[in-house]
Amino acid sequence: MATHEHDVHAISYRTYTMTWFWLLVMTMLALGLGYAPIAERLKALLLVCTTLAKILLIASIFMHLRYEKINLIMITLAPLILAVILFSFTFPETFGSASHVISVR
Amino acid sequence: MDATIAEQQRILASDWGGGKSPFGTTWSKFMMWIFIISDALTFAGFLIAYGFVRSISQEWPKQTKVFNMVLITFMTFALISSSAVMAMAVGAARARQPKLAVRFLGLTIAGGLIFLGCQAYEWSHFIHEGARLTHNPWGVPQFAAAFFVITGFHGFHVFSGVTILAVVALRAAVGKYSADGVENAGLYWHFVDVVWVFVFAFFYLL
Repeated sequence: MATHEHDVHAISYRTYTMTWFWLLVMTMLALGLGYAPIAERLKALLLVCTTLAKILLIASIFMHLRYEKINLIMITLAPLILAVILFSFTFPETFGSASHVISVR
Repeated sequence: MDATIAEQQRILASDWGGGKSPFGTTWSKFMMWIFIISDALTFAGFLIAYGFVRSISQEWPKQTKVFNMVLITFMTFALISSSAVMAMAVGAARARQPKLAVRFLGLTIAGGLIFLGCQAYEWSHFIHEGARLTHNPWGVPQFAAAFFVITGFHGFHVFSGVTILAVVALRAAVGKYSADGVENAGLYWHFVDVVWVFVFAFFYLL
């Protein structure tokens, strides 16, 4: 079996531990945001930023994506891009007529 | 004839001909990535549908008041910790230290089981309070439906991951050890962690 370039990039246990630590810090930050008395839109924006930062850490270090070829990295972005497109197409519908609204029973 | 062979060799040596991977990785790992991407689209669909339903609802229960956030945070801690240990298992497997890899795999499985145990408790508590797929005591019927579908689908992935990791660990323990196998299982486990990061932020906190 071919030896790939990423195989020779051994990541130290210290790096994994530090990544774990920062993930926990960001989790606590996200939890704080959940309770913070701020506008919902700002909270959503900050939560998206925190989530993306965590995803970036997990993907690049735990999943070793930073050692992969750019082709592989680019196809992993497909779900995020398609999710943004799906969101952009569906979300404007929520500004429609009152018939869209789900009432509380 | 010679020209045909030369052409075949050129194609095989090209990026798209199979002779040289355009992704610079093994097929098994590449297929795992393709699976992860397709599965990520499923979860993206769930979360966007959830966002849509929530946006068109007149009101939505405050999750931090409905759910036990200490438990949810602990579940997040268990999954993130297991993901970190899984990365170490891959490192040990690559370093040809199967015993260490099996230990790390064992810790990863333990993290997954703790998560599943907490989720079973959370589900039973939620059902006991009257939550069903079609109705719940907090008003909006879609609230409980979204909870059961999203966390249930994710929980099933965690269960599958624990099963896969158990098989990989057992194989490593008896000497049928493959660093690629450990890495592929690890990619799946990290994906499960990534999905939970989204669920934690958008379902429980937003």
